[in-house]
Amino acid sequence: MYYPEPITKLIDSFMKLPGIGPKTAARLAFFVLDMKEDDVLDFAKSLVNAKRDLTYCSVCGHITDKDPCSICEDMRRDRSLVCVVQDPKDVIAMEKMKEYNGLYHVLHGAISPMEGIGPEDINVPDLLKRLQDETIKEVILATNPNIEGEATAMYISRLLKPSGIRVTRIAHGLPVGGDLEYADEVTLSKALEGRRDV
Amino acid sequence: MHITELSLENYRNYLSLDIEFDNKVNVFLGENAQGKTNIMESIFVLAMARSYRTSNDKELISWEADYAKIRGRVQKSQSSVPLELIISKKGKKAKCNHIEQQRLSQYVGNMNVVMFAPEDLNLVKGSPQVRRRFIDMEIGQVSPVYLHDISQYHKVLQQRNRYLKQLQLKETKDMTMLDVLTDQLIQLAVKVVKKRFAFIHLLQEWAQSIHSGISRGLEHLDIVYEPSIDVSEDDVSSKMISIFEETYHSQRKRELERGVTLSGPHRDDLVFLVNGKDVQTFGSQGQQRTTALSVKLAEIELIHSEIQEYPILLLDDVLSELDDYRQSHLLNTIQGKVQTFVTTTSIEGIHHQTLQEASTFSVKQGTISQIK
Repeated sequence: MYYPEPITKLIDSFMKLPGIGPKTAARLAFFVLDMKEDDVLDFAKSLVNAKRDLTYCSVCGHITDKDPCSICEDMRRDRSLVCVVQDPKDVIAMEKMKEYNGLYHVLHGAISPMEGIGPEDINVPDLLKRLQDETIKEVILATNPNIEGEATAMYISRLLKPSGIRVTRIAHGLPVGGDLEYADEVTLSKALEGRRDV
Repeated sequence: MHITELSLENYRNYLSLDIEFDNKVNVFLGENAQGKTNIMESIFVLAMARSYRTSNDKELISWEADYAKIRGRVQKSQSSVPLELIISKKGKKAKCNHIEQQRLSQYVGNMNVVMFAPEDLNLVKGSPQVRRRFIDMEIGQVSPVYLHDISQYHKVLQQRNRYLKQLQLKETKDMTMLDVLTDQLIQLAVKVVKKRFAFIHLLQEWAQSIHSGISRGLEHLDIVYEPSIDVSEDDVSSKMISIFEETYHSQRKRELERGVTLSGPHRDDLVFLVNGKDVQTFGSQGQQRTTALSVKLAEIELIHSEIQEYPILLLDDVLSELDDYRQSHLLNTIQGKVQTFVTTTSIEGIHHQTLQEASTFSVKQGTISQIK
């Protein structure tokens, strides 16, 4: 062992984080040694609190410190609209846009038989329960545009078909502000497939 | 197009190699087991980002090295493009114009090669898998969208097979999910089948005239694409989709019993007919060889018609396998327009003008020196 035990433990802890290898972990650990004690205490507290105080919203599945979450509670939002996403980070992305004023439903994953994830393993049953509420008029499927996300969207749309609720899928194609010539062939062909009348 | 420079690092038996080429025929001369084929393979890998000899990329790395690097410069009619491919134990990195390419499907197609090796006889003699791989590789060279569609198809196929297994083992009984996966599969399958029809159609046009040239007009070649689900070339997408839907519907019970997807582009095949007879079963060795050669030469013309550049031709140990007439027919076809790499153990006995003018390299235990 090259380091005293406390710092070895700290390095090991940092290495549990994604994207951090032994060298970065050692650098971070030594940085912590030089930090003020108050800052270190704060840091430790935020780590514990984030884990202890955050739960998943029982309505939409988003991460929250109170249940139901602030988005589900917000009465100014359009309660007839639900946007289905794969991940809490997707909610943040949608919120940053500041254009969407409906509710969310977070699936926490996508259906993938290869990884052993079936419809019942993601938040689909809860979504169906939620939709029995008459106020919801439209479901927007905003899962990722890959095989698994697409399959999940198709699956949900099939389940919802009998209910008569409007089901929409977000578009995919060219990024806004980009040049056509820089788009890769596959994206371009998707954009062409999804063209619409003007 | 032609390749002007090639450098290898830790590639199979080449620890370090830098070599320059002319835009004509380049011959690698050497005894067995010196590394002639490795050079050919490295050019192929630089173009396709995969080997035709192995599916395990780690085999390309020299003993006790951590990575293999292939660099090359391709001269096209308008531009000169540096390409670089690094193969490590973790995966592959491809650079075009010194910029790393996120997707390999973006990289493949910058350099086009056509390979003719003794294994290519398997195109006629071998299993349908060999022919499907041939189709996929060749269309992929000229169409990145096809490359994307076929890889997505295989992903959905894997998902569907896994799900059929789960249904078979009664781990789940949700049929809606199977419908979804079937739909997804059909959407991609139809795109793949349409592209394959169009490609085989073009290939046959070129191959027919070449074949009749090689056989002195005595043989007529037909290439027939046989999709495992009975659709025809003229069907529009919507009709194909409904035929696919019917097929999967009617074989659902059997698929559930077997736990595997029974038909689709992954079960398609090609049939080569000479004078109306299947070459695989009824053709002689010579006819099979001629057929394979016609198809390869047709590929050169096909790529030229698609991208307005001739691809690079790699002939690994095949000149010696052909008779004099076929040899000179082959060499006449490439003369002056296609950069060609040839490996052979000796050039004595081949008196074609093309080879007299060729640059010759001697290959000995992982080192190469230019003789002429």
